[in-house]
Amino acid sequence: MLAKNKIKSFFRQSFLLICILFTCFQSIANENTMKYLINDITKMYMSSMVFIFINQPLINQKGGDKGDLFGERFMQNIKQTYLAKYDEQFPAEDHLVKRALVQAMVEVMNDNQALIYDDEIGFKGIIPATFAFQLSAKLATKGVGLKIKFTRTAGSIRNKLNKPDKWESSIMLKIIKKPQIYYDENAQLNGKPAIRQFTPLPMAPYCLACHGSPKNNPLNKNRKKSDWTNIDITGFEMENWTMADFGGGISISIEKSVFQ
Amino acid sequence: MVSFRKGTICAALFYFFSFAVTSQTIKIGVVDYPPHINFNEELNKSPLIKYMNSILLPLNYSFEYIKLPRVRASVELEEGRIDMLMPIPVIKKSIITLPLPLFYATPGLCFKKENFIPILSATHRFNNLMIGFPANSSLVFALESSKANLVALMGENAVNRGIELTQRGRFDAFYHPSPVQVYHRNTAKYKEVACSYFHGYSTPIYVAVANLKIFKLLNSAYQKALSKQSYEYYFANRDN
Repeated sequence: MLAKNKIKSFFRQSFLLICILFTCFQSIANENTMKYLINDITKMYMSSMVFIFINQPLINQKGGDKGDLFGERFMQNIKQTYLAKYDEQFPAEDHLVKRALVQAMVEVMNDNQALIYDDEIGFKGIIPATFAFQLSAKLATKGVGLKIKFTRTAGSIRNKLNKPDKWESSIMLKIIKKPQIYYDENAQLNGKPAIRQFTPLPMAPYCLACHGSPKNNPLNKNRKKSDWTNIDITGFEMENWTMADFGGGISISIEKSVFQ
Repeated sequence: MVSFRKGTICAALFYFFSFAVTSQTIKIGVVDYPPHINFNEELNKSPLIKYMNSILLPLNYSFEYIKLPRVRASVELEEGRIDMLMPIPVIKKSIITLPLPLFYATPGLCFKKENFIPILSATHRFNNLMIGFPANSSLVFALESSKANLVALMGENAVNRGIELTQRGRFDAFYHPSPVQVYHRNTAKYKEVACSYFHGYSTPIYVAVANLKIFKLLNSAYQKALSKQSYEYYFANRDN
């Protein structure tokens, strides 16, 4: 009888232990899935911005074949950019939010098609920052629980709709001196539990063409210094930032419900 | 014997009603909304019509499209003379729509090409510009709070007149609730004006239905189509 009870108790304890271990593994797996997804989204987003930067001549040129900027060809080019930038294949579109991002990229370029093909307009205004904002605005209409923002500290934002929220401001405050990726698995988005990640971007020479000083302004090329302007090509006053300044960052939020 | 009779009557009724349903014609009111629906070309070439056909054909209903002017279209729907209406923004709470929008309209400003402002978050560039707008449209905050001189145009045709006044240089720019309607590659206006957008201020554009019966009939087919491919994505890939 005693032996029987011991066996019963052994099985009961083993079962409990297995349940606990299973729950732990599942939670670790979930956590990893969430981290992988938010990293993939960040890199996909950044690759598209890089592609838009590299292709400024194509976007702004008069005439010629601009098919590389639309539809399937556009996505193939972003995938190539991703491969070149991260030395790995573009992530599989195996999750709703990844598919939504890819579709939004194609849709944003299509929204700009008339402008891109307009030979009477020189500078079209489709630069990495504006593309990123259009992508964010498009995703906001999709209702897939994904929010993306390219932002910087509140006082230095050109587009007021891009102002950082409380979480972003507090993270930037923490990392501005020593920029590093910040991941928060217990954050909120629109009052719902969410994971959030802020990836700081280093200032790059091409950022300074708009945000640097007049000597960086391409509009001042071949002009006498006395004729230099501090208004950049987009129509904003330049901020006089240097390569040592904080470059802002990519803020990605994904509602936890999308993992269920 | 009695049960045989009941069964026969039921079968006859079922046959009658199923025939009545399948022979019903769905009347779909459409308003001119280029480039999605373009009255200047054969209607079946419009991308929104093609997309909607792909949803309606499997339902085994006959359907017909009826071209309507914008203002009359809502009245026709409310009075039950049409079963569906598209594409429309929701302006009255009483109008029933399919829950998910077809696409979003983003407002913007149209300029003569030489005066084009590509990035509208640079609102300081509106200082002292004379910018017209249709009196019945609500302006976006970025424009309303700018230092532009805003001029309201009255009347149903305000949008077309506003664009013409901009072409003639009487306005520096004109606020359009959905500039894609005038600034796309298949319109004559494409050569005259260029428009840029207030991104982040978009309005959903829907399919409206006359009653709950039509809603039930269409909604699941519409949801199924959306899960395969949204209209916006279909539209973005139509030429590729």
